[in-house]
Amino acid sequence: MTSSGEARLLLLGWNFRTAALSVRERVAFSSDEVREALDRIRGEGLVSEGVIVSTCNRSEIYGVSDGSHTSSHLTRLISEWRGLDVREAEAGSFYREGRDAARHLFRVAAGLESLALGESEVLGQVRTALRLAREAGATRAVLHRMFETAVSAGKRVRTETEIARHPLSVAAIGFELATKVFGDMAERTVLVLGAGETGTLFAQQAAAAGVRDVRIANRSLPRAEELAARMGGRAVPWDALPRALPEADVVVGTTASAEPVVSRADVETAMRERRGRPVFFLDLAIPRDFEAGVGDLYNVYAYGLDDLREVAEENRRRRSREVPRAEEILEEELARFLAWFGNLAVVPTLNDLQARLAALRDTELERLPPKERERFRAFADAIASKLLHEPLRRLKAEPDASRKLDRVEAVRHLFDLDS
Amino acid sequence: MASHLFGWLAVACYLAAEAAAILALVARRERFAWVTPALVAAGLALHFRDLLVRARALGSVPYRTLGGSVSLFGWMLGIAFLVLLLRHRERAIGPFLIPFIVLTTGVGMLLPDSASAPSQGTRGALFAFHVTLAILAYAAFTFSFVLSLLYLIQDRQLRRRTTGILFARLPALEVIGRMNRTSVSIGLGTLAASLVIGLVRAEMLWSSLADPKVAWALITVVVYGLLLWMERRGWEGPRSAVLSIVGFAVVMFSYTVVNVYFSPAHRFR
Repeated sequence: MTSSGEARLLLLGWNFRTAALSVRERVAFSSDEVREALDRIRGEGLVSEGVIVSTCNRSEIYGVSDGSHTSSHLTRLISEWRGLDVREAEAGSFYREGRDAARHLFRVAAGLESLALGESEVLGQVRTALRLAREAGATRAVLHRMFETAVSAGKRVRTETEIARHPLSVAAIGFELATKVFGDMAERTVLVLGAGETGTLFAQQAAAAGVRDVRIANRSLPRAEELAARMGGRAVPWDALPRALPEADVVVGTTASAEPVVSRADVETAMRERRGRPVFFLDLAIPRDFEAGVGDLYNVYAYGLDDLREVAEENRRRRSREVPRAEEILEEELARFLAWFGNLAVVPTLNDLQARLAALRDTELERLPPKERERFRAFADAIASKLLHEPLRRLKAEPDASRKLDRVEAVRHLFDLDS
Repeated sequence: MASHLFGWLAVACYLAAEAAAILALVARRERFAWVTPALVAAGLALHFRDLLVRARALGSVPYRTLGGSVSLFGWMLGIAFLVLLLRHRERAIGPFLIPFIVLTTGVGMLLPDSASAPSQGTRGALFAFHVTLAILAYAAFTFSFVLSLLYLIQDRQLRRRTTGILFARLPALEVIGRMNRTSVSIGLGTLAASLVIGLVRAEMLWSSLADPKVAWALITVVVYGLLLWMERRGWEGPRSAVLSIVGFAVVMFSYTVVNVYFSPAHRFR
């Protein structure tokens, strides 16, 4: 490894845009493997700090290094370890350095690099990556700061722009539409027909959104009971559906039935019993669970999968329109991080330190009678330079890039150079 | 003719409140939630000063002049707006309601203020209550009208799967419906009280209740009463929104045409 002396940020990654699934599954790491990978790359002296973000869509190795050719060394190490052809691994990878590496992490944290633009799960994954690396003792000041800043930038993007606001999944869209009818959903009754995957998903979403009364009707009662027990809801026997229908404000169809399970006449009866109060039908089943024409009845709002997909497409466009604003925020945070990082070089810190000491000296000299000042100034300077000589020499001579950054950071902190 | 300095300052406050409300709606800045109600309240205080000046000049509630009456109407709209806002904590309606406050107050400043000497009919505490309550009722019905329109718009957007910014920012149907009920309840209560006071005064002054305005007020009470009864029975929804719009048409007719052409007691003099 050739040392160029100056510490650089670097990133070697594979994601769903660059690498085929066959490569991605080889470089995907479990928590234990993340720890092992961090040990290996640091053991080889390729990086002095490292964090690995590994999700189903990406594997990204962030590091601080003062060597050159690090990317090819890293690729070789990973492919040998994971039994992957080096050329294949290289072809599917991407490499960034310095500002670009940091920018990529910020974009990942903000969800700009996600398949579902702006999704929030990735923020937790970035946080987890930092935690794993810290537990493995693989991070120090730089990556720690970089990841923390990335997480807070990601949060800012989600609160200050609309990028995470418009739901993309049909279940979430359906729930949002229901909210536009009823307002507060906590006191509403949600009836889910079918205890399959979609039914479970919607029931969970409703419960998570604060709906207190979630009921599940299924042809096989035990399955409904099991799901209901799991999320604190109530199971409804299938033949009790006519009685359950008028009590429900939101009815969600998710059964695999070949025929509609709720007819227009059923709804008309239910509406009479509800005395016309609004009801919301959400049909997530193929073929449909609710007979056509249900939505034409007074105060009945009915949506099918096609409607929801249309809204999803529209929402996707709305999210993309927010990208420029998100990028502005990221650049702002990035600039802040890079300014801090730039200060960690030895020379600017030296200058800051000397300026700080000169200011101290001048304040003290003010107290002396003017004619004595010149003499004492020379005296003070001599002491300061003697005092600082050895610490600064050691700081400059530190061979490990990350440790050097850590120490510069410590100097800046101890002498309060950043305020 | 008064210069209405305070009145115009009030209009400026209302305008600023509208701008703040639009900004809050579009940019969703929760931190500035208090700006709109604070500006409306400031406007109401300034506006009240202007009304006071007019009242002193006239020696009665400033209802006898067209300008004064419209301005008082604007003031009552402001009061009704704050009541709705505090009661329902739903700020998204601000941008749709405040323009009515701005408009009526502004028009009130521009319209002529000249009036003849107060007559026997336009003096005393009962007259003041009668007029003030009636105008508060009109203000509440105006907001009920706007809320009903918003209800129909939101209903239409839901049915047509239009999920634009207006859809996202307008409150849920249920919430608009509830605010509408509050407005109608205020309107109905104050109108009934004003009607009773008016009848008592008419009996005392002229020993006669024969005024077409009474009939129209009764029709108004019946329409809005029916609406509240319907909602109680659970028949909320677009139909009661339409009924509320019909009610407002009746109110407007009785405020304008009936006043000017049919009811000598309610003509501006």
